[in-house]
Amino acid sequence: MIKYVVAIIVSIVLASSATDADTIKEDVTTMSVLATLEALGKDVDHLKPNLLIVNASAEAGERLIKEGFATKGNGKATRQQSKHFVCTSCHNVVQEDPDLESMDPQARLEYSELRGIPYLQGTTLYGAVNRESFYNGDYYKKYGELVNPARNDLREAVKLCAVECAQGRKLADWELESVMAYLWDIGLQMDDLNLAGEELEWIQMTLDEGKQDQDVIDLIESRYIKASPATFSLPPADRAAGSGLVGDTDNGKLLYDNSCLHCHQNARYSYLHLDDTKLSFKHLKRHMSKYTRHSLYQVVRWGVPVKSGKESYMPQYPQEKMTDQQLADLRSYIESRA
Amino acid sequence: MRYTILLSIFLACVITTVSYAQSTGEAPAQKVFQTFKDTRVINTPSVEMVPHGSLDFRIGHRFGDAGGDGGGWTTFYGLEEAEDVMIGFDYGLGHNWTVGIMRTKGSGPLRQNISATTKMRIIEQEVNGNQPFSLVLYGMGSFSTMPKSTREDDLNFFAQPEHRLTYHMQLLLARKFSPRFSMQLGGGWTYRNIVPFNDLNDLVHASASARIQVTKAIGLILDATVPFGNLRNTANADGERDFLPALGIGVEWETGGGHVFQMNFTNATGIAETDYIPYTESDWRDGEFRLGFTISRLFKI
Repeated sequence: MIKYVVAIIVSIVLASSATDADTIKEDVTTMSVLATLEALGKDVDHLKPNLLIVNASAEAGERLIKEGFATKGNGKATRQQSKHFVCTSCHNVVQEDPDLESMDPQARLEYSELRGIPYLQGTTLYGAVNRESFYNGDYYKKYGELVNPARNDLREAVKLCAVECAQGRKLADWELESVMAYLWDIGLQMDDLNLAGEELEWIQMTLDEGKQDQDVIDLIESRYIKASPATFSLPPADRAAGSGLVGDTDNGKLLYDNSCLHCHQNARYSYLHLDDTKLSFKHLKRHMSKYTRHSLYQVVRWGVPVKSGKESYMPQYPQEKMTDQQLADLRSYIESRA
Repeated sequence: MRYTILLSIFLACVITTVSYAQSTGEAPAQKVFQTFKDTRVINTPSVEMVPHGSLDFRIGHRFGDAGGDGGGWTTFYGLEEAEDVMIGFDYGLGHNWTVGIMRTKGSGPLRQNISATTKMRIIEQEVNGNQPFSLVLYGMGSFSTMPKSTREDDLNFFAQPEHRLTYHMQLLLARKFSPRFSMQLGGGWTYRNIVPFNDLNDLVHASASARIQVTKAIGLILDATVPFGNLRNTANADGERDFLPALGIGVEWETGGGHVFQMNFTNATGIAETDYIPYTESDWRDGEFRLGFTISRLFKI
């Protein structure tokens, strides 16, 4: 009899403490952007991972993105998703633009150096769930009709990236949902956004009142870019002369270290090994003006294509990821070291 | 007893490799990349391993003598002859362990050989100098599939099935001194179950190899293997040696896309260690050297 009384008392205590906790209002600066938007009335259900699928988890998604394979519940590792790349070959998984309202390549390069992260062709996966459009701009030129289903659907974008960009196998449903779970976890946080004190107060007050307010949603969404533009451009017509822009050698070093070496040092994702020696710089300089895949201009602006039996390739840099000025900087650095 | 020794050495290497990998809980030190471009220098195996999970498909060829009695215009300077041909696969079982299998035509008395190889890296040179060199153990076993001879004095009479087998093992010590220069020293032991008259089953050798990188893609390679033994260090009745060191010089270049193409000249006729170490008889001084090449294609599987 006594044990039933104790159980009832404990249940009451626990229930009352839970009620107390529910009444504590969450500080908006500690919330994710998606959670905030959802609380304000935006439908984000389509972005939520389906973790009811067996084996799906954010941990598995993180491993897939960073290492290219995941471990199932039975401890057995999956087959490598791609023999050639992992997601982080071309995408960071942390914030890479200092100001989320603009995508300034030079600011991103300096920020990358500051944070010790690579400067890459692909847009960071951090905040991918907050973007609404993928494979934008000139990616249609590269992938054609394949981009249509992926343009406004993150899941379809991930699936296209797995097969076309990474030249790998299709993701199983649980793997896709695992990736979505990890992307959800690395969505933008409210304190990443450039919001003034009174704006934060307005958002907090709206949340506290439990109101749904489109104006507040619009305010939050105005503080980050919801699509990553892509503009492909041609190499200079005269590669020996270059673009005519005067290069900044120091800036070129940042590009070489954070961009070229990310894939090429010790032939990490490429057959071409590059390092900090004269041999590498002389090789790049000698081929600079050629109209072949060994030319810096060629590979930066056209990339290296996939061939039958040789799926490893190099994606090109859109202007938003490497400007003509940065390319001139890179050339300047290479020539200074050759 | 001999198998026990081999097994002990093999296990010691595995344990050393594994314990070395586990002993350092910190972030791994940066390793030196590409002491040599290929897993073989010319004749000698190099300290390079096939990357983990990759398959290296290899074709090696040794033409006939460029000069001397068997060379010249008659054989178009050896290009119309094939002293040895090798077709094989190497696979990276781990970062520090490569296994392989190859078929060689063979150029010694035992031919049509199937060889299994294993290469284990015990130490890998580090950039910061904590490990100033790489140390690799290489081993192979070769099985001749040639038909039995009816003549009892032929090596391929194969009175016992074990006579088809030859073993080889060597330690390789290499250092990349600079991006342009690498050097490797080696020493090893070859055991043949059946040998020509007056020869010894055991054969010890030393090797030295070097790579001089001329440009980013092109390198000059040098290779010498010197066997020691009763027939190797003493002259015969004619005042000459029956067996000679295998000396090679070559050029290798990366063609991009995972290909390393190597063209070399060597007096060795055989490609496998169990062939060129005990049975090199050709003499550079008599024009008895040949063009050889290796084509290697790496597949990620």
